[in-house]
Amino acid sequence: MRYASAEVRKQFFMDMFTRDISLEDCVLDLIDNSVDSFLLGHRISVSDLIFGPDGNTAAEGLGTIDVTCNERQIKVVDTCGGISRARAMSDVFCFGHSENDPVGKLGAYGVGMKRAVFKIGNKFDIVSRTSIEGFEVSFKLDEWAERDDWKVPIRFIEGAASEKKAGTSITVTELHDEVTLRIKEGGVPKNILDDASTTYPYFLDRCVRLRINDTDVVPKSIKLGELNGVVRAAHEEFEQGGVKVTLAATVAPGQRTAEEAGWYILCNGRVVVRADKTDLTGWAKELASFQPKYRSFVGIASFESDNPLSLPWTTTKRDLNRESIVFIRARGLMATMSKPILSFLNSQYPSDTTTEVADIRDAVGGVQAVSFKDITTRPTTGFLYTSPKRKEKRNELVRYQAEVASLDKVRRHLRRPNMAAGEIGKFTLSHYVKTECSE
Amino acid sequence: MNAISSSYRVQYDMRPAKQVERRMLVDALQRLSAAGIPVADYQYTGFGAIYFVDFILFHKILGLSKLLSLEQHKSLESRMMFNRPFSCVEIKMVSASSEIPNLSRDIRHIVWLDYDGVLQKGFLSDIQSALTILPTGSILLVTVDVEPPEEHDYKTVDPDFDSSKEVLGPKHWRRYFEHHASPYLNLGLSDDDFGKSELGKRSGEILRAAFTRAIVARPNLQFVPMFNFSYKDSHSMLTMGGMIAGRAEKRQLQASTLGDTDYYCKNFKDAPFEIKVPRLTRRERAYLDREMPCADGWIPTDFDLDADVVLRYREIYRFLPAFAEILL
Repeated sequence: MRYASAEVRKQFFMDMFTRDISLEDCVLDLIDNSVDSFLLGHRISVSDLIFGPDGNTAAEGLGTIDVTCNERQIKVVDTCGGISRARAMSDVFCFGHSENDPVGKLGAYGVGMKRAVFKIGNKFDIVSRTSIEGFEVSFKLDEWAERDDWKVPIRFIEGAASEKKAGTSITVTELHDEVTLRIKEGGVPKNILDDASTTYPYFLDRCVRLRINDTDVVPKSIKLGELNGVVRAAHEEFEQGGVKVTLAATVAPGQRTAEEAGWYILCNGRVVVRADKTDLTGWAKELASFQPKYRSFVGIASFESDNPLSLPWTTTKRDLNRESIVFIRARGLMATMSKPILSFLNSQYPSDTTTEVADIRDAVGGVQAVSFKDITTRPTTGFLYTSPKRKEKRNELVRYQAEVASLDKVRRHLRRPNMAAGEIGKFTLSHYVKTECSE
Repeated sequence: MNAISSSYRVQYDMRPAKQVERRMLVDALQRLSAAGIPVADYQYTGFGAIYFVDFILFHKILGLSKLLSLEQHKSLESRMMFNRPFSCVEIKMVSASSEIPNLSRDIRHIVWLDYDGVLQKGFLSDIQSALTILPTGSILLVTVDVEPPEEHDYKTVDPDFDSSKEVLGPKHWRRYFEHHASPYLNLGLSDDDFGKSELGKRSGEILRAAFTRAIVARPNLQFVPMFNFSYKDSHSMLTMGGMIAGRAEKRQLQASTLGDTDYYCKNFKDAPFEIKVPRLTRRERAYLDREMPCADGWIPTDFDLDADVVLRYREIYRFLPAFAEILL
C-alpha cells in the first residue's frame, strides 16, 4: 500500500481558521475560558445560574476578568482559578479537547484561545497560576509556523499566593495590521463591552465581574413578562441526546424597541443568538415576518448539557447548527409557542378600536417582569391571554333624535327658550327617574 | 380564511358525503377502542360551528366527554352558545393556532382541523403545531377544500389581481400554492400540474409533506396514516388523518380491525378513498340494503343499475344517512 500526504499545514491552518469569526467574538472566546475556569473550580452549575435567584449571590467570591484592548495589545487577565500544569501540558494548547480533559461548560471545541491568538497578533504570552502551581508560555507565531512540530515551549513557575489570586493572564502583542486598523477605527472595545453585556447576563455579577478597559460590564438581562390572571407566558421543555431544552415565550415588560424583540438562544447559559427575528427561529417561515407591532415579543430557548459538543452552537458561538436534531425539535416548538403571542400582539391593531382592543393594549402595557425560573417551574403550557372582567359601567351615553316641536314644548314649559337639546335630555330623564322610579 | 364563516354558507347536517366521512371516522374509532385504545378518554377538539354534528356523534356513539369547539368568528358566539348540544362541550372563541399550544399534554387528543378553505400557510402552521405538541397516541385529522383558489383566495397572493382583465387559471393557482406552501411542494412542477383536476393531488402531497416535516423532529415517533378521504357535496374536499404513534401505538393500531375496512389508508401516497354517494331513491335503497353486503358483480334484477354503482354503494351503505322531512 502507498500513502499520499494528508497532513495539516500550519500556515494554512492559521489563516483559514480565523476567517469566519470577528475580532470581538475572539475576545469573547477568551472570556469564555475565564468563565469556564471559574465554573469548574467552584463547581457551579449552569442551571443554578440560569434558573437560580436573580442578582448577585456571593459578591465576595466573584472571579474578576479584566480585558485590555488597544492598538498595542489585547490582554485578558482573570482571577478565575488558573490552569493546572497537567492541563497545560496535555490539553490547553491542543486543537480540540482530549477525552480525559475535564470538560468545561462554555469551551466546547477546544479552539477558542488558539484561534483568538491567530486572529489577533504574532506574539503570545500566557501566565497561569493555580493556588499550588503555575506555568508560562511565550512564543511568536511566525517562528512557530516555520517549525514542523506542533509543540509550544512551556516553563513551570510558582503557584499563586492564594486561591483568590489564582488566575490566568493572556497577552497578545505585535497585532496584525488589520486588527490594529480596526482598533484605530474605534468602537472595538465598545463592541466587546456591548456584546459581553448581552452574552453573559447569567454569569456577570453572579459568578464573575468583567471589565473592558477599566469599564465595568453591566449585564443586560433578558426581560420576560406576565400579568397576573391576564397574560401567561408559554413554557415548553424536553430532553434529547443529553441536552435539556427549556423554552419560554411571552410579552416583554416596559417600553420595547424592535431591536430587543425576538428569540434569545442560550447554550449552557451563554447567549449565542440575540433577539433573533430571522427564519432561524421560524420568523417569515412558520411565523409572519417581523414587524414593529411585534416588538414586545420575547422568547428564551435554553440548551444545557454536560457535554458542550452536543449543544447546537457553531464554533463561533454566534450562530446555531441548523442540522442539530435537538435544535430542529426546539425550533418546531418555538414556532408553535410564538404564534399565539403574535396573534395577540396583532390584535392590538384592528380596523376599529373596541373595548376589547383597549383591554389587550392595557394588558400589553401592563405586563410585569417575571423570571425565567418562575415561568419554567410551572407545567408546560401555551401562551394565554384572558381578557379581564370588565368593571361595571357607571355611565353610558344616551343619544336619540327628538322632534323639535317637543323640545320647544319643554322650553316653553320651563320658560327657558335657550335650553340646549342635550340639557333637555338630561333634565327630562332625571325628572322621570325622580318622579316615576323613586323606591 | 374566508371572510364569511362556512356556518352561513353550508347546511352542515345535510351533506351526505360529509356525513359518510364522519360515520367512517366513528367506525374507525370504535375499532380502535375495541383494540384497547381508550378512545372514550380522548379529548375531541374541532370546529363545531353552529351544528356540532361531529360533537354529537363523538359524544353519543363513542362516549367522548371532553369536547372543545373552536371558532374564530366572534359574530357566531351567541348562536354557538345557543346551539351547544351538551354541557360537556366547551366553546372557545379563539383560533386553532392560539389554542393548540394550550391543549393538555396529559391526555390524548383527537384534533380535527376541519377547514372549509383552500390550503394556506395558516393551516400548515396549525398542523406543525399540533404534531409538535400533541401527546403520543393522539389523532390529527385535516380537511381542506381542493377546488381551485377563488378570487378572494388569490388576492392574498396578488392583491392587484383584477378579474375583469384576467381569468384565474392553473398559472395563478400554481402561484397561490407556491406562495402558501412552497417548502412542501415537490420539485419540477409546471403550470399543468396545477390544473383543476390536479389540485386534490397537490393538496395531498402538501399535507403529507407537512405531516412529515413536523413529526421528524420528534424522536421515535411517526405520524401513522389512518384516513385519506376525498368527497364532494358541493366543493371537492380532502381529509387526511393519522395517529402520532410510537412503537406501542403502532402495534395497537396494526392489531385493530381498522385494516379490514375499505376506507383505511395505509399509505398517504396511495390515492384517497373516494366517498361517492350514488343518487338513489328511498325505494331503491331499501331494495339494495336487503342484499347488502352483496357479492361481487351482483346487480339488481328489478331495475337497471350499473355494477360499479352497486359496488360504491356497498362501500358506504353502512355509513350513509337517510334524510327525511320532519314537520315541526
